[in-house]
Amino acid sequence: MTVKEKATTEIAEDPIRLEIFKHLFASIAEEMGVVLRKASYSPNIKERRDFSCAVFDGQTRMVAQAAHIPVHLGSMPLSVQAALHAHPYLEPGDMVILNDPYRGGTHLPDITLVSPVFLDEGHHSQRAFAFIASRAHHADIGGMAAGSMPIAREIFQEGLIIPPVKLVRGGEMQQALLDVILANVRTPEERMGDLYAQIAANQRGVERLQALVQRYGKSEISWAMEALYAYTARMTRRLISRIPPGEYTFADYLDDDGIGTQPVLIRATLRIHGDRATVDFSGSAPQQRGSINAVYAITLSAVHYVFRCLLGLDVPNNAGCLEPIEVIAPPGSVVNALPPAAVAAGNVETSQRIVDVLLGALAMADQQSGGKLCIPAASQGTMNNLSLGGYDPQRNQPFTYYETIGGGMGARRNAPGASGVHSHMTNTLNTPIEALEFTYPLRVLRYEIRSNSGGKGTYNGGDGIRRDIQVLTACEATILSERRRLAPYGLQGGESGKCGENLLLRENETIPLAGKCSIELKAGDVLSIRTPGGGGYGA
Amino acid sequence: MTQLLDDPLFIKSQARIGVDIGGTFTDFVLYRPTSGELKSFKCLSTPNNPAHAVLSGLEKLGVKPPAWMTHGSTVATNALLERKGARTALITTRGFRDVLQIGRQNRPALYDLAADPPAPLVAQELRLEVTERIDAKGQVLTPLNIEEVEALMPRLQAEEVEAVAVCLLFSFLHPEHEERIGQMLTHAGYAVSLSSQILPEYREYERMSTTVVNAYVSPVLSNYLHTLENSLPTGFRLQVMQSNGGVISASEAMHNGVRCILSGPAGGVVGAQHIAWLAARGSEPGEGSNAPLKVITLDMGGTSTDVSLIDGSPQITTEACIGGYPIRIPILDIHTIGAGGGSIAYRDAGGALRVGPQSAGAEPGPACYGKGDVPTVTDANLVLGRLPPDRFLGGEMRLDAQRAVQVLEQLGRQLGLTLPQVALGIVAVVNAHMERALRVISVERGYDPREFTLLSFGGAGGLHAADLARGLGIPRVLVPPMASTLSAFGMLTAEVVKDYTQTVMLPATTPVEEIKTRLGRLTARGFQELIDEGLPAERIRFESALDMRYIGQSYELTLPFSAAFVEEFHRQHEHSYGYARREAPVEIVNLRTWAIGMVEHPSLERHPFQGTEAMEAYLEHRLVTFSDGVKQVPFYAGEKLRHGQRLFGPAVVVRPDTTILLAEGDAALLDAYLNLIIEVAL
Repeated sequence: MTVKEKATTEIAEDPIRLEIFKHLFASIAEEMGVVLRKASYSPNIKERRDFSCAVFDGQTRMVAQAAHIPVHLGSMPLSVQAALHAHPYLEPGDMVILNDPYRGGTHLPDITLVSPVFLDEGHHSQRAFAFIASRAHHADIGGMAAGSMPIAREIFQEGLIIPPVKLVRGGEMQQALLDVILANVRTPEERMGDLYAQIAANQRGVERLQALVQRYGKSEISWAMEALYAYTARMTRRLISRIPPGEYTFADYLDDDGIGTQPVLIRATLRIHGDRATVDFSGSAPQQRGSINAVYAITLSAVHYVFRCLLGLDVPNNAGCLEPIEVIAPPGSVVNALPPAAVAAGNVETSQRIVDVLLGALAMADQQSGGKLCIPAASQGTMNNLSLGGYDPQRNQPFTYYETIGGGMGARRNAPGASGVHSHMTNTLNTPIEALEFTYPLRVLRYEIRSNSGGKGTYNGGDGIRRDIQVLTACEATILSERRRLAPYGLQGGESGKCGENLLLRENETIPLAGKCSIELKAGDVLSIRTPGGGGYGA
Repeated sequence: MTQLLDDPLFIKSQARIGVDIGGTFTDFVLYRPTSGELKSFKCLSTPNNPAHAVLSGLEKLGVKPPAWMTHGSTVATNALLERKGARTALITTRGFRDVLQIGRQNRPALYDLAADPPAPLVAQELRLEVTERIDAKGQVLTPLNIEEVEALMPRLQAEEVEAVAVCLLFSFLHPEHEERIGQMLTHAGYAVSLSSQILPEYREYERMSTTVVNAYVSPVLSNYLHTLENSLPTGFRLQVMQSNGGVISASEAMHNGVRCILSGPAGGVVGAQHIAWLAARGSEPGEGSNAPLKVITLDMGGTSTDVSLIDGSPQITTEACIGGYPIRIPILDIHTIGAGGGSIAYRDAGGALRVGPQSAGAEPGPACYGKGDVPTVTDANLVLGRLPPDRFLGGEMRLDAQRAVQVLEQLGRQLGLTLPQVALGIVAVVNAHMERALRVISVERGYDPREFTLLSFGGAGGLHAADLARGLGIPRVLVPPMASTLSAFGMLTAEVVKDYTQTVMLPATTPVEEIKTRLGRLTARGFQELIDEGLPAERIRFESALDMRYIGQSYELTLPFSAAFVEEFHRQHEHSYGYARREAPVEIVNLRTWAIGMVEHPSLERHPFQGTEAMEAYLEHRLVTFSDGVKQVPFYAGEKLRHGQRLFGPAVVVRPDTTILLAEGDAALLDAYLNLIIEVAL
């Protein structure tokens, strides 16, 4: 009997070990996260917590991920696979760095570090027993605009591309490579601090997994990885078999690609056959000139996220969730872009729309099952990315600032949507107003719930946020936002949420801004970002 | 009377009582400094009127006034968790009333589409705004509009508001606007909490949340303390345990409710620290060590388990979040999980054995208590033979073993497991939960558990402590004789502590004299307030600290103030985070001062050495199930064990309030304070 068969048959007989190892693996990923957050330097990692840590088995299947950022969920295994593909003979002490969205990455600011885990030194020719990976959103990775989230037309404008290469070789930092990376970014010291933090997190993960093997033995750990995978897969199949069989198609649009003005179609067909499902994105728009293109990893993450939510909190978070699910994303489409398409907004915006579309298809299925799945109406469907950069005359230095803004959640069958929170693919924190004003030539004039922006219904969608920021010096702003023209949908007769609005308040004038734009601001100008409300539920 | 109470000699000589009111029991520890008498007592809590249990306990113990009573209570905690606080309004800078609701804009659970953030303690219609604005340098951009404040008064009255929180942007740099509003509200008869007084630190949401919690719980705590004070005979002086591990007078606590949340668990940690300190200093002169105390505390009760770490002193956190509401005052860093003796075991949809966080509580309680019909951790321990059914709570309550077997067998059938398998499984799973909690406070914070002693108290911990220690490589477990009343004991050992903080944002190049002057303002305030509490000047001391970071960072390190504070910061940063940047500019974010009024610690009786053999305490042999089989195990009566006696595992020690399990290879020794010290077989 193979380990896999053994694990599958044994599982029912050993519910105790299953529960214990679930905790043990999860605590490795969580501990890595604590190390990364504490050791890092940039507010984006410490204050906003834009990072993820995970453990993988020898076949690169995710065993555990700490609950960090959903958009990293399905995409981290592709990083490990890309690292292994580029370096089939990894050795102890190696760490592979990458950010190339077309080779295991998502968008350029997300830098991933992959470490193999070997059990006994000396047998270098053997394959790694497991892998550890950490991913963090770095505040800048070069390119045409500070923050590396520009209105770009090709990936080369977005920043430095790092294919899977060894940053650490047998425990030795590859200084030449590090020098090249640091020479290409705007804030090299911060980058270096954050990269060292990722290295520290990976080292901790490797040590913890090795200690676990020492304590329980290799075969026991292999069994546990396999058994947990099988357990989550079984739970997902059980979930799918509760969905009425059939085919459900749902489509929605992105407002535009930031360069043209045409809406961009995303279509998903959900096919339920017994305890398996296919999510087919055929019919979605071709990849676009702007940066809203999602690479396959993003699409996979969005699908993983949706099914993960339906599974319930107790189920261990691992690759088993995708085992009974086939994802079809036509190459060259906006949900599976090919080089050299720009991709910065694919990660932060398109990922949200993919979730909306898949939830829409599930809502259709759910209608037949009487609402058992409790699918909510559309949430704000955007992260409202705002980057500001320029020169601060008072502090006599350049500054770059990046934030994302929450909005309304969709209402559910039995409850209104929450107001003023991040939804679906992100959960980053805001920067406190008092921290912001201490550090940057900026002043916040309002930060409030945008009343009556949630869609009306038996239960109303959550309200969005209004955030007014005054710039105290001339600078440049880049906004990447969605749902400015096409509103988040309601369900069961519930109304749509209100679209978001981006306004420039200059002296006594109110100037409407596009959803995706780059503009020069004068000292005293006020950017007023009003984020979308969630859809309502029920008439 | 007041005069007499203020006399330091009086303070030294009078009876002192620690009282911890829990959900099920109210615990008392009485100490008479003159005779050295130390006595503990438990009675059932009276949740409808907690003072009732307190009074009957005092009567049972025969305490006569004058006396000092230190009190830990869950009144403030429950008001917050059950949302039964005062009707509270909030006043903010115009444009920012929703900061309370938006918080940090994150949702509480990533993968749960139905998890909503907790509803704010003040509904939107009671969140009011006034025109004013202060900038990041503390300068007034827009003066406070007094007419607007006046216009709010009829509104507050019409809404029948009881308490008002005031939190304006940057008020910690320029408190005058808040103070002016505060005067007007106080004049109008409201209980007022100002953010510039409660927590004068930057980060508006956390400051606002802390201030609102204070406004929300203080009137409830105040009512309760008034009732209690009025029902105590004259001559009782009432103090309240705070979450920071110190005590304050009842009159101070009445308008500082946020400082008294988690007061019970804090008592446990302070008590554990005292016990561990005595044990480490050795029972004979010359024995023991002077190394800093390294203790992990484990307080396993019926529904939850609290863990904390003491490295020299208890760890402090300013990142607490209770019931979903951030509370940023410094409190003892206590990590709580929903696993205890009453935690319910079940099979989940995927076929795994799960334990907790649901608990059978005290009502109906574990199946073996005779009413419940779901299996719990206690039932598993009973079935394994580790808990003698006829000796529970000193034999006052007989456990129903048959009922425990029935419910476990039922669960075993669902899981395809035998009775011993399912019972061992429940214990293993609950231990996994607790091990993870212990890792959070140790390994994840950079402490190696192998350097620590596990101090177990609370009713349920003794059966699990040695196994948990083994899992983490902790070499030693200490179970004190008053395991179930340690929180009440801790309240007697706690000092009077008031903490003060001020955000300053100064460059680290600021002259030391300037920093001393600013710290001096905080210590002067602390000195005056402790004098007002009735403490003699010679018993007051101060500790000061600075929160520092590299400019551009968003998290601070807190370090004791010294002349070489910058170098200390670099060193600590390297130690904590693996690197230091000696060339980078450092800034001082907050000043902190603790004013401490020292109390006379109770001295514990040291028992004479009485030989190593524990025959007198031997009860009988019973069958106990371990993962490697069923063994004949000797049981001992804990209250008959004497100093110097040794026990070798497998063995079970039965005390009226807790039961302790030693596995094969574990060895235990009774020290002079009758602590059971287990050397764990690793």
